[in-house]
Amino acid sequence: MTTDNTTGPFHEFADKSGDYYAKTFLKIQKNELSKWHINFSAALGSFIWASLRGNWLLFWIAFAVDLVTLVYFGAAYKFNNALSGVLEEVAKYTAAGNTAAASNKQLLIERYENWTSSSIMTAIIIFIIGRLFIGWLANRVYYRQYNTWRVDHTKRSGLKANRLVMMTVILAMIAPLMIYRSTQFAPYARTCVKQDRAIAKGKDVSFQAKFNCKIISDFPTLIWIDRPDIVEYPRAEDGTRYVKISEPTNKKPVTLHTYVSGSIENGVGYLTAFYGYFFDGIVKVLTGLLNALEAIFVGTPWPIMMGVLLAIAYYAAGTRITIFVGSSLGYLALFGFWQTAMETLTLVAAATCVSILIGLPLGIWVGKSKWGKAIVTPILDVMQTIPSFVYLLPAIAFFGIGVVPGILATVIFAMPPMVRLTSLGIQHVPESTKEAALAFGANPRQLLTKVELPLAMPSIMAGVNQVVMMSLSMVVVAALIGAGGMGFLVTDALARTDTGKGILAGVGIALLAMMIDRVVQKANIQ
Amino acid sequence: MSDQRRVVVEANNVWKIFGDRADEAMAEVQKSNISKAEVLERFECVVGVKDVSMSVREGEVFCIMGLSGSGKSTLVRHVNRLIEPTSGTIEINGTDVGGLNPEELRAMRADQIGMVFQNMALLPHRTVRDNIAFSLELRNVDAFRRAQAADAVIERVTLQGYGDRYPSELSGGMQQRVGLARALAADPEILLMDEPFSALDPLIRRGLQDEFLALSKEMNKTTLFITHDLDEAIRMGSRIAIMKDGEIVQTGTPEDIVTNPADEYVADFVQGISKLKLVFAHTVMVPVAKYEKENKKLPALKNCPQAGPEDDLDTLLTKVVDQDKPLVIVDDGKPVGVVTKDALLHAIRGET
Repeated sequence: MTTDNTTGPFHEFADKSGDYYAKTFLKIQKNELSKWHINFSAALGSFIWASLRGNWLLFWIAFAVDLVTLVYFGAAYKFNNALSGVLEEVAKYTAAGNTAAASNKQLLIERYENWTSSSIMTAIIIFIIGRLFIGWLANRVYYRQYNTWRVDHTKRSGLKANRLVMMTVILAMIAPLMIYRSTQFAPYARTCVKQDRAIAKGKDVSFQAKFNCKIISDFPTLIWIDRPDIVEYPRAEDGTRYVKISEPTNKKPVTLHTYVSGSIENGVGYLTAFYGYFFDGIVKVLTGLLNALEAIFVGTPWPIMMGVLLAIAYYAAGTRITIFVGSSLGYLALFGFWQTAMETLTLVAAATCVSILIGLPLGIWVGKSKWGKAIVTPILDVMQTIPSFVYLLPAIAFFGIGVVPGILATVIFAMPPMVRLTSLGIQHVPESTKEAALAFGANPRQLLTKVELPLAMPSIMAGVNQVVMMSLSMVVVAALIGAGGMGFLVTDALARTDTGKGILAGVGIALLAMMIDRVVQKANIQ
Repeated sequence: MSDQRRVVVEANNVWKIFGDRADEAMAEVQKSNISKAEVLERFECVVGVKDVSMSVREGEVFCIMGLSGSGKSTLVRHVNRLIEPTSGTIEINGTDVGGLNPEELRAMRADQIGMVFQNMALLPHRTVRDNIAFSLELRNVDAFRRAQAADAVIERVTLQGYGDRYPSELSGGMQQRVGLARALAADPEILLMDEPFSALDPLIRRGLQDEFLALSKEMNKTTLFITHDLDEAIRMGSRIAIMKDGEIVQTGTPEDIVTNPADEYVADFVQGISKLKLVFAHTVMVPVAKYEKENKKLPALKNCPQAGPEDDLDTLLTKVVDQDKPLVIVDDGKPVGVVTKDALLHAIRGET
């Protein structure tokens, strides 16, 4: 053994069987620990060893291993139970001479037998591998614990029996319910609803059935609310709409979810019924923009359009990217995607225009005002976190199906980076440069146009690039609500499970995206 | 020696207190004259400038010297009202700056005041010429006259041939020339220099200092020059104001400051400064009569080394070296005083 000086702290830390840990820790320090070194007392003691030693990380791992093992055994018990139930039934059928019904059950019997034996196998494998893993992990994790203890001697060390109390509490809180759950088939939600009604009618239900419904099935819906009145907005004879409220025909109470979703729908209905002109106005403006862009992209004969696109690529991004753009356009044209690709470009252009028109001023506001930041930033956060598909629904609710709601959904999805990057650019204009401009007599407008916007330009252009790319990806999704273009080909192929067509259209979209991205990025750099 | 030149910039009892409750703090300060520490403790406000009065005359280079945090940059930003005083007034040619409306203020900033910044603060997306013409552009001067004016100043700061370059293509010293040119472009009467040469290396700084001195003399600009470097202040300033903790502790000519420091703080500063170029014969000489009373008779005038009363110690030193006769100070052909070697050595050590 080495001197006390090197192993002394090890002994002090490990307390019982200090010699063993002193030896192992020394090996770890000297990098001599064997790859396959296993602490057998840890492997055997598992979570009890870990909690005695106060290593709660290892405790949770070990506890999980044993719990999963038990859960698989519980499942085996559950399937075995089900199996004996089926066997009883089969015995009944055979006794009654109904061999057809008996052989029908054969498949079920086989399945339950399979599940039972595979559950037992899994349980055993997990147990053995898990315990070996714990034995392998124990000393390495324990050494880390030693290192934290070296820094702070109040941290857990040694071997203390009172930690078993904590362990027992955790065990008692988790293990029984988990194991019980594994031995039971969870009741269906409908069964539980029926059970609720039966209880309401005063029928007797066993405690176990009630327990199963409330605890091991879904979270019990606790709130039941009276059904709201039916609200409609019919037209009167003079053509104006009015609000008509009637009693619900069905008196059964509804869940919170149904109640609130109904109210939201009523609100949306009210807005479209009484403020329709507002939405119609938006539709008119956007349709105008779309028609103009469509005249450019779709109306221009393909030879001219192709030439123009190639010329733009050449001047903006150079020869190599022009070759790429050329071959991509060739792909689109040869596979018959030209018109649809141009439609998609129209949509992207329209969405980008609207995003920039709204996003740039908003970004400037956010960048310059504390209020703007406080109001807009959380809205942007929400806009970016909500999955893009969710935007489609309100768009349909307010604008129906078609291109305009598609573009609006796209704008909502694609605008946040424009706002963020614009405000970022404005905020990053050095204070000293702004001060200099003020010192030479700049007014607020000159400060913005001659100093802040030019200095923020790289950031703003990065925002535009983002907007273009996000518009393209969203325009494809917006095809679901009738926005048309390349996305429609994909959704159509999806609906018909037409793999070949779907892949061709998908490649087309990818090429379109790469084309735009490369050109815009290169143009930004130059 | 009273100065007859016109006062261009005048500050009267300027206070600047930073913080949300600055007005309350100001009222309390005026009522019961509480200290900076008390203001901080009771109102959570910081006193940036404390009761500063100064007047800068036409053509003068007025140096404001102080360490960082002494409030010198804050003070100078009051002149063009980049910072509003909490109390007190600033007058430029008799006009109260605080009373100008936004449009008048912008006009004054563009036409009468040029400012140079420590970190240059040039616009990276504009060429040197467009940077220099920036103040003119803000006043909607047409492009042709702008370019003409810019080219004229480019020549003054010897940046010929760099007009169409971008600031990033220039060295630090050249960039600061652009900064200076930008300040001069609108031919303003007043220049505010906020530590303009601090970020440059010593050799280039020296060169720019000399060039600027020549320029300001030639163009007769009234300059407020901020620096944290006493050497620079002494080189540049016709007068120096020394700031400490937001207050001006002493104002005077470089010689005043070096020979008569107002308090310990200034004395500490001045200690390491070479007096050779700052102290003149008239302050160290002893009148002839007094010399003759205390010592023996003065030797014949033609055998003695001679100097004028406005010669500095450096000049005197070269004249007394390698000989033992006393130095006679001659004014209008008549001897007015005597400087002995001992007196000279004491003066160099700062013991007058």
